[in-house]
Amino acid sequence: MSMVEMTGAKALFEALKAEGVRDIFGIPGGAMIPVYDALYDEPEIRHILTRHEQAAAHAADGYARATGKPGVCFTTSGPGATNLTTGILTAYMDSSPVVAISGQMPNSVLGSDAFQEADMLSIMLPITKHNFIIRHVTELPAIIRLAFKTATTGRPGPVHIDLPKDVQVSKADLKIPAEVNYHKKIKLDPDPEDIRKAVRMLVDAEQPVIYAGGGVIWSSASAEVVTLAEMLGAPVVTSLMGKGVIPEDHPLALGMLGMHGRMAANLAVSECDVLLGVGVRFSDRATGDVRHFASRAKIIHIDIDQVELGKNVRVDLPILGDAKRSLAAIIEGIKLQVKKGRTSAWLQRVKRMREELAPRMDYDEVPTKPQRVIKEIMSVLNEDAIIVTEVGQCQMWAAHFYVVKKPRHFISSGGLGTMGFGFPASMGVKIARPECDVVTIAGDGSFLMNSQELATVVENKINVVSCIFNNRYLGMVKQWQDLFYQKRRSGVYLGNVPDFVKLAEAYGAWGDRATRPSEIAPKLREALKCGKPAILDIPIDPDEHVLPMVPAGGRLDEPILT
Amino acid sequence: MKTRMFSVLCQNVPGVMMRISRSFTRRQINLDSITVGIEPSGLARVILTFKADDRLAEFMRRVLARAEPIIDVEVIDPERSIAREIALLKTKKLDEEQLWKVVELVERAGGKVLENKGNVLIVELSGSHEHIEKVITELGPDILKEVARSGQVLISRETC
Repeated sequence: MSMVEMTGAKALFEALKAEGVRDIFGIPGGAMIPVYDALYDEPEIRHILTRHEQAAAHAADGYARATGKPGVCFTTSGPGATNLTTGILTAYMDSSPVVAISGQMPNSVLGSDAFQEADMLSIMLPITKHNFIIRHVTELPAIIRLAFKTATTGRPGPVHIDLPKDVQVSKADLKIPAEVNYHKKIKLDPDPEDIRKAVRMLVDAEQPVIYAGGGVIWSSASAEVVTLAEMLGAPVVTSLMGKGVIPEDHPLALGMLGMHGRMAANLAVSECDVLLGVGVRFSDRATGDVRHFASRAKIIHIDIDQVELGKNVRVDLPILGDAKRSLAAIIEGIKLQVKKGRTSAWLQRVKRMREELAPRMDYDEVPTKPQRVIKEIMSVLNEDAIIVTEVGQCQMWAAHFYVVKKPRHFISSGGLGTMGFGFPASMGVKIARPECDVVTIAGDGSFLMNSQELATVVENKINVVSCIFNNRYLGMVKQWQDLFYQKRRSGVYLGNVPDFVKLAEAYGAWGDRATRPSEIAPKLREALKCGKPAILDIPIDPDEHVLPMVPAGGRLDEPILT
Repeated sequence: MKTRMFSVLCQNVPGVMMRISRSFTRRQINLDSITVGIEPSGLARVILTFKADDRLAEFMRRVLARAEPIIDVEVIDPERSIAREIALLKTKKLDEEQLWKVVELVERAGGKVLENKGNVLIVELSGSHEHIEKVITELGPDILKEVARSGQVLISRETC
């Protein structure tokens, strides 16, 4: 492409199209009108007008998590841009490549407290992988491309671009660069000596366990995890972000680890002699008391981010590198080893744990037990359906009980634990994967934090289904108050409003209520087929807790059971 | 806790100092000194000194190395580097006895009296951080009105 005279706004779209962007979530405003004016002439770009900028960020994040490709959102300056922050930090904590672009007041007035001016360079700086302000239109093409490169290279993460209005309207002879000069050197290939050591440790292990996280999904290394698990006879436990790395009905899959993890997963990690952590950050919610975490094990940790290695737990063998390449190298190394029959006792133990500690879901009570709700949802959805969750009890019930079969098919706010994430994220997921059923497992508290997006899904015919686990409480806080604060339920009762069926209908969505366990599956089938966005309100037992539970800072092998 | 010295090579772009300093703030580490200079290449070299144990120092090295505008983080070994600091000192209005005491002390310390206006001296000192600390302590708050210090600049003795 040769130099062409164009405005900054036009160049922005040329750069976005060069990145393959087709969908953008956002809301315009005064400082973004020139960009939206240029959007008017871009028939290839689909713009989804959300009803809150936070939702635009979550939708872009959902899009990224469902596809592995960057999700894009637009806002205006000031409040539009600050409304992004929760969504951007959510993406940062879970390493999701979101590219957010905000209008800004013209360069000439920056720092003067002009109308809708916010110091976004400073505000976004600690909550993004990187952020930019574009001072001059000639910088724009390279910065946009660099933003995408940064968001997707190495450990992915969100990038914010502050785009002053004068840059949007000024003209220059511009060219979208084919290549971007990215100076960071990301070490993808692991050190061969580290791989030799890892192979030796894994081959010599009597009771190996693989602990896989979101990094495996971002690296598209799920198949390698399953191959290695089968070669070693090693069970696989996952973090919340790692759900779907291994089909959870696989005989070696023990489910999620941690505070609300499966008993079998927590016990396996407590009993193992070698723990291979890959693409995980050993979060406090996964490890419990680090002094007792995998205390009998040598720990190998593979991560692409050097900061994560040894950050939270002692690591005997840190391996800096890409998850896929590192696992592939370990697999090659193990192929050259003589196989021993040493793990059969361990495999028996794993099989027994899987069977004996399988969680119970077949409750018949009314109001319905949440475990039963998950069972009913699973009975309706096929393995291509994508589950999105809100945050709190509903999320942990989904994480604990739902059997996910594929990577990128369980989408949840992990690190930041953002209530209000699920519903708008599900919009992005559905836009990215229209062929899949997209179902949000929501709580009534979380859903109301971004329920205005009902307008967006109805207007844009984004046919997502929200199953509201309705207990009329901020349930996870209530659970902590019940367990650790002598049942002093303070500030957690949400009352009897709204009527979620009427709320759905007010927006022109489909709404119904399933009050008995037997009603859930047929009504969910109807919701999926109704040709509209849908809400299924499911009153659940308000006294039910997410169990087992390892109290914060407790030992994984000492959970609260009842 | 040991004093650590990092020499950080980074792009000279808006926000880079904030990016560095907030990494320390967030981990509740006080930076003892920051100096910045622009290299002939146009890149900025930031010299940081702070206190941390071995584990935290290594963690901070990685945190900085990860930051997008940062190109290289060199951990400076005090044994294998040369460090200097400059200080400009302004005294209070001194009587004759104090004045001569200060002049003598400054000269002994290798410093220079730059100005004397009505028995208020402006003095230049340079040398190691410890050397300057020692002189400032010796002069004390009865003598000194104002102290401006450059923070440490340092360079490693490595030849390649």
